[in-house]
Amino acid sequence: MLLFDDVVKRRGARDVLSGVTFTARPGRVTGFLGPNGAGKSSTLRILLGLDRATSGTALVAGRPYRELRHPLRTIGSVLDGSGAHRSRTARQHLAWVARSNGIPRRRVGEVLEQVGLADAARVRAGRLSLGMGQRLGLAAALLGEPAALVLDEPVNGLDPEGIRWIRGLLRAHADAGGTVLLSSHLMSEVAELADDLVVIAAGRVVAAGPLAAVTAGHRTLEDAFFALTSGGAP
Amino acid sequence: MAAVAAELRKALTLPAALAGLAVAVLAPAALAVLYAAQGTAGSAAQAALDAAPMVTIGAIVLGVVAVSSEYGGGRQIAGTLAAMPRRRTVLAAKAATVAVLIAAAAAVAFPVALLAARLVGGTGPAPDDVVGRAAGTGVYAVLIGLIALAITTLTRNGIVPLIVLIANGSVVSVSFLLSLATPLALYLPDLAGMRMLAGDDRIAIDDALAPLPGGLVMAAWTAALLAVAAVVLGRRDA
Repeated sequence: MLLFDDVVKRRGARDVLSGVTFTARPGRVTGFLGPNGAGKSSTLRILLGLDRATSGTALVAGRPYRELRHPLRTIGSVLDGSGAHRSRTARQHLAWVARSNGIPRRRVGEVLEQVGLADAARVRAGRLSLGMGQRLGLAAALLGEPAALVLDEPVNGLDPEGIRWIRGLLRAHADAGGTVLLSSHLMSEVAELADDLVVIAAGRVVAAGPLAAVTAGHRTLEDAFFALTSGGAP
Repeated sequence: MAAVAAELRKALTLPAALAGLAVAVLAPAALAVLYAAQGTAGSAAQAALDAAPMVTIGAIVLGVVAVSSEYGGGRQIAGTLAAMPRRRTVLAAKAATVAVLIAAAAAVAFPVALLAARLVGGTGPAPDDVVGRAAGTGVYAVLIGLIALAITTLTRNGIVPLIVLIANGSVVSVSFLLSLATPLALYLPDLAGMRMLAGDDRIAIDDALAPLPGGLVMAAWTAALLAVAAVVLGRRDA
């Protein structure tokens, strides 16, 4: 469903990504794990057509993101907060997003309900807490009922109840046949949720595969993570 | 079409854009009332025509905030491009939105200014071709708004284009000063379109281009700047 093939990103003289290759499959939650600055966000931004790869390809359902006509019906994403302009209300934000992808207006109310923001629909995005902003971002990602969800550090700013809730939501999405790709630098989050793991360090994928295979030979995911990422760094 | 509808919705839910629209409609009326009360213009129509260029301030604000709102206040640009990954389509939709809103504001602003001036100062003898000259102001406002949009796309920040465009049109006109040195400055976008804003007898520049050729020169500038903005937006990382 989501495929990265030898993605390279160079900024000036710096290699941000050096040949990133992996797949996120339907029916699975894929955890994309790595220390800060390892290239997780760059990888996701290239998948979403926001940044251009120096070489290599990233495909959504077999096509580059920029060629998708109504991308939000295929893939929903949350990067860095709600993505809403601070002076628009939650409902106003979702309304234009829906309109841009030909998504029926009734979905706005439905996703607000689904993420628990129904009471905050008229609150300006700039006044939402960090956790509520994350929920608004997720609401926008769910608008088009996409098969794939891509989330960059989704539990940032969520309280324990929110974390439990988002875990349930992503698990249910994958169990229903959807594809979930989520990045995190928090091993404990990923360990509880992911079926597959991709570990990245210094712009290179140092391990990929089912959770059990990646952690084999290590006592915990945390041990595996440090063994892999310290070995992979130059 | 979905992109235009989405951008229109964005503009109409953005307080700064609504403020720009309000300025575009109300500022000409306020100035026309002042002219009419002083009796300097000679007629309500002339007062409204003299005050009409105020619509350009609102037009510049609209053009700037349509783009600068993507980069400030929460970095909305990632969400915009995730929803609408065809970047030329996004720029075209923004340009269409800004053009339609400015044209609508200008179409409302002139009759409002005219009515306000009449109420204050009476009708008086109307000058020639009032409708044509009011329309010229509207065209100038649309073009300067699109130029503001294109420049802001390049700068990704509203401060510079606001200062350059509004100060250049009001405080110190660099274009005007340049025109004293070289007649080529008459082909700069703001001076080229100047005669669409005001009659020959009301501007301080000799040999300004006539309204039609001047408008075409200004439109060519606008198209060129939008083309550059489209290429840059398409190539750079969001």
